Amino acid sequence: MKKISLLSLIIISLSFSSCNKSDDPGTDNFTALKTEVLTDFSNVVAVPGYADLNNAATALNTAIQNLNTNATEANLTEAKNAWKNIRSVWEKCEGYLFGPVEDNDYDPNMDTWPTDYVQMDSLLASSNALTLNDIKTITLSLRGYHPIEYIIFGNHGDRTAASITARQKAYMVSLATDIKNTCNELYLSWTTAPTNFAQRVKNAGNGSTVYAKKQEAYLAIVEALIGICEEVGEGKMKEPYDALDPSIVESPYSGNSVSDFKDNIIGLQNVYLGKYASGDGKGLNDLVASKNISLDNTLQNQMTAAINSFDNITVYYEQAIISQRIQCQQTMTALATLKTTLENNLKPFIIQNIQD
Amino acid sequence: MITAVVLLFTMCNKAGVFNALDYDERLSGGMATVFDETSKSFGHMVPFLNERDGRVHELGDAAFEQTFVSAPAPVNSGLGPIFNNVSCISCHHNDGKGTPTAGFVNSSLLFRLSIPGTDVNGGPLSIPNFGGQLQDVAIFGKQPEANVNIIYNNVDVTYPDGEIVTLRKPTYTVTNSYQSLPTGYLISPRLAPPVFGLGLLQNIPESTILLFADEFDTDGDGISGKPNYVYNTYTHQRELGRFGLKANVPNLLMQVAGAYHQDMGVTNYVFPFESSFGQSQADALNDDPELADSTLNQVVFYIKTLAVPARRNTTDADIQSGKQLFTQLNCSGCHKPVVQTGIDLNLSAINNQRIQPFTDMLLHDMGDDLADGRSDFLATGNEWRTAPLWGIGLFAKTNGTPFYLHDGRARTIEEAILWHGGEALPAKQKFMQLSKPDRAKLLKFIQSL
Repeated sequence: MKKISLLSLIIISLSFSSCNKSDDPGTDNFTALKTEVLTDFSNVVAVPGYADLNNAATALNTAIQNLNTNATEANLTEAKNAWKNIRSVWEKCEGYLFGPVEDNDYDPNMDTWPTDYVQMDSLLASSNALTLNDIKTITLSLRGYHPIEYIIFGNHGDRTAASITARQKAYMVSLATDIKNTCNELYLSWTTAPTNFAQRVKNAGNGSTVYAKKQEAYLAIVEALIGICEEVGEGKMKEPYDALDPSIVESPYSGNSVSDFKDNIIGLQNVYLGKYASGDGKGLNDLVASKNISLDNTLQNQMTAAINSFDNITVYYEQAIISQRIQCQQTMTALATLKTTLENNLKPFIIQNIQD
Repeated sequence: MITAVVLLFTMCNKAGVFNALDYDERLSGGMATVFDETSKSFGHMVPFLNERDGRVHELGDAAFEQTFVSAPAPVNSGLGPIFNNVSCISCHHNDGKGTPTAGFVNSSLLFRLSIPGTDVNGGPLSIPNFGGQLQDVAIFGKQPEANVNIIYNNVDVTYPDGEIVTLRKPTYTVTNSYQSLPTGYLISPRLAPPVFGLGLLQNIPESTILLFADEFDTDGDGISGKPNYVYNTYTHQRELGRFGLKANVPNLLMQVAGAYHQDMGVTNYVFPFESSFGQSQADALNDDPELADSTLNQVVFYIKTLAVPARRNTTDADIQSGKQLFTQLNCSGCHKPVVQTGIDLNLSAINNQRIQPFTDMLLHDMGDDLADGRSDFLATGNEWRTAPLWGIGLFAKTNGTPFYLHDGRARTIEEAILWHGGEALPAKQKFMQLSKPDRAKLLKFIQSL
């Protein structure tokens, strides 16, 4: 039996692919697209997303401070809206959970779940000054979005402005300032020195100190898409569903869970399409469509189907896992289907077509 | 005609050895290898798990990332009262090595404690009112056992060609101890190691590991690896130590259960009494074991079924040269390039696999500069288990900033090599005598693992 060495196999397959390239008039376009898509991912999706997050954090901070100064029901409503708004922006940013957001721990600093209520009671009963510095060193289950959620929403919005204690106010003011600072640092980590992460993505394969090849940057993006799809479908939704246990559901106080899950998948779609808010650039879809229209159609249809299926869940998720199980299962199935296509088709597409 | 038949018969039945060059050297984990160079490269499932096993792996994965909170709580109850960190993932960042600080929310360093001597089972002697590990964080209203300050002092190393590399040596000082510590107590830093590939390492036959051993250096090559036999408090038996930086833990169940217990204060069926039992920080709740049996088992299975990331750029000429140098310098004397795992009829991905872990799983004297002075069963104060080198080139991806060696003192692979002493001193000296281009090739090879 002849033994073909790996090296010659590589050479053979390379020569086959180079034959294909010279026959394809769209190759130059694809080559240009490979850079454009990374550029637009940074300039149209990621950085504007973090810019909006930064603004939403400032708005939340202002609303919390107003609530602190003047605990009226109107100010409480403002604070709740500001909180829901930043969550909506953040959950979309979770479509690209790589880079400084994970390397610098910005994600766990803001979004750790569950919240530790026993320690929170101890903290508020103690003489801890609850300054910003105290919050910055506190255990993560007492920091970020969810402690604020507990204070301003209570159980599905039954909190009244008058019932918020002085200690809770001092605590929430520091928590909100902390989030504002973290979101600002996150934005700066992409846009300014020394981290300048947007530049490192755009320069992938061209001197970037993080991504020696474009392929590495693309795989980081695709792995993040697979990751968030899996986290929502097989984690955040499936665990409480399987256990029939509402107490496991993330973020129950605001009743915001289903919106959060949906925004995660919208964020995924934004990355794929190279679109965010009013911005519309080149996305992975352009790369895929230029060589495999069918795969692009499949992916786009599956993303749309998954996003739309959330609208069938019309009650709080803690209730839906009991009274709307069919709808929950349909969404999880749609997400599983999407994840399979991302893993078995999009990822190999990237590996085969972007080798530099 | 008969000759032809006979020839055919012998050709078909010839039991030949498969040429080493015909193995794909990218497959560090054999079948349990995954191709990923991103920050997620340590977190993939081995292939060919059936649907049920895949689901168990996912449940273990979710549990690994769960944040624990103080009891009583409906979800993830049981943190502390004293601990080091709140979830597995906070120390094992992206299933890899973390950051060598202590006591902060993103710290990945912990400290083992003991007083000189051994306990009834031959293991380290715990410190009364402290135990065998220092818990430097506590829930509100309780006091941590102590804090640890870390100071680094620079140590310059000069190559024969004049180039200077600055190493940093850590000094650990215990402060604010909730009770005074006895004189002569021993403390040993441990940076959280990566958690992938451990199912494969657990499946290396004991006989294979013993074949690598040469405690009295009977072959005179200067390498004297020895196995660490430890006491398993769950099975009440003496077993070969495989895991932990001094090979002081016999298997994954004991490693994971011990980490829940000591690092997070979460009691479980293996360790059902609080780590703070008998201390002033103990909670008076009757909620032990705090961790469901199934969760512990799921996490053990998760760890067991984590794949190994493939090597990168194996055909690069410099890397091929570096590979030769690795053998010539006898780095491979301890960092064994190829090992065969044993049989596992349940998990085909770890069954009878040819793996490239670059470890012999044995204890070696690494010299005084790396010594912690704290023995652990058969491991002396100078000995450490050979660290597996697979995946080492991806530490920068999984942790943002890479750190190497047992306490994370080394910031580059070069620094890690320069710390090698004891049995590894000849290899380190030969490394230093290489030309700079050759040193670069060797480093590039290790970076490709």
